[in-house]
Amino acid sequence: MNNIFLRLRRGTGILLATLLVTSTFCRPADLPVIAPRVQLDAENAGPREIEEQTEKAIVRDYGAAWTALNQALERNQPEPLGDLWVGTAKQLFLDALQQQEQSGIRIRYLGQQHQLQAVFYSQEGSALELQDTAQVERQVLDGETVVNSESLTLHYLVVMTPTTDHWQVRIFQSVADF
Amino acid sequence: MNSKIGTYWQTIRRTGVRVACGALFASLPLLAADLTVPRQATANSAITIGTAGEGSGELYLIGPTARIKRNVRLGDSVQLKPEEIQAAGLYTVILRGGGGAAKSFWVAPAAPQAINFLAQPSRVAASTPDAISGTVFVMDRYHNLVLSAVPVKFELALQDAASERTVNAREGVAWARMDSGHHAGNAQFTASVDDSSVKRIIQQVAAEPCNVNFHAHPAPAGIVVETDLLRDCAGNAIPDGTIVTFTDIDAHGKSTVDAVVKRGIARAELPAAPAAVISAASGIVSGNELHWNGDAR
Repeated sequence: MNNIFLRLRRGTGILLATLLVTSTFCRPADLPVIAPRVQLDAENAGPREIEEQTEKAIVRDYGAAWTALNQALERNQPEPLGDLWVGTAKQLFLDALQQQEQSGIRIRYLGQQHQLQAVFYSQEGSALELQDTAQVERQVLDGETVVNSESLTLHYLVVMTPTTDHWQVRIFQSVADF
Repeated sequence: MNSKIGTYWQTIRRTGVRVACGALFASLPLLAADLTVPRQATANSAITIGTAGEGSGELYLIGPTARIKRNVRLGDSVQLKPEEIQAAGLYTVILRGGGGAAKSFWVAPAAPQAINFLAQPSRVAASTPDAISGTVFVMDRYHNLVLSAVPVKFELALQDAASERTVNAREGVAWARMDSGHHAGNAQFTASVDDSSVKRIIQQVAAEPCNVNFHAHPAPAGIVVETDLLRDCAGNAIPDGTIVTFTDIDAHGKSTVDAVVKRGIARAELPAAPAAVISAASGIVSGNELHWNGDAR
């Protein structure tokens, strides 16, 4: 008898957790925003070596920044960008969101995988430059109609700077190649 | 009768020809839609996108910030204003109608015109090798990172003394380490690219004292010890607030007193002892040693 209650409680718990996750990330018209996969190769960074803790923080915060960006692009709202995006990088997406609002056209990234290569870490630890090779499926939507869907390999140059407890994306630029 | 048959026959032939012609034209493809995009463009330059095909359609331009839609007659060109392609990066043109087409092109950054300059630290000891670090991100006027190997000049100047270093930016970033100058004071640390420059102030303070010489004399309650005017090896006065530690070893054991430098001099009072060895140190610098036996020797 106790076993049945235990199972029911577990089942209810899983259901509630699922509902919580779904309600957090989904609106009726939205697809769930799935966190991108991020990997970092910190071997070639210089002049300062990247500490293991910093490596983990970069992977965590760059992934969080993309999740926030995906939410902002999907919902056409700047709020999710928070302080994970700052400076010219944030302005870039604020401009994009404004254009999305005006035109009704928006983009959506699916199945993202980001392979980061650290290329510069300043001596005093105040700035980090990364090359991001991203595999994505990019959809272009006009209203709710997908007008184009492409699998792309995109290259980004990214500059991140630290705060007391996390890293922020400060410069973000798509480039043809590295 | 024959004429009626002839009329029917002619009608059938004409209809047959019409059906055959219709089928033939229907089987021929319409001129397929196509796009002509520039191979590469520069940020904030006007560009033209060519379309080919028959009929009309919708043209979409998707860029780092661009989300543009235009109705087009296939075969016409579409002009994009400079302000529509200010962000460097990948742009995709999508054509809907006439079979559809999509092509991409790259927009490169414009000429360098702005600098993001990180200088560290804000306060540094004078005459210290590689103590100052400068990092520059080279941008164009539209906030794009300039990726070419732009020469960046770093200059550290205080009074008549100046040192400089020129480094080529790599993927938008240039960095340099500089020795701090010999003189205490506010040094100007400048980074410049072409006509653009950004200044930061680095406060250079005296380094460790070059030596910690002191003397002692008796006082009513013990021994007064006092340093000479403390300076670093470049002659800069040691700043107020620096700690000098006096150590007294006598028959009762060891006692230490931390004294704060005021106007370049540290002063403390030690307990009286018939025979004592007194020494002084500040940071990593040790001073002279005095053998006290009622007076200093």
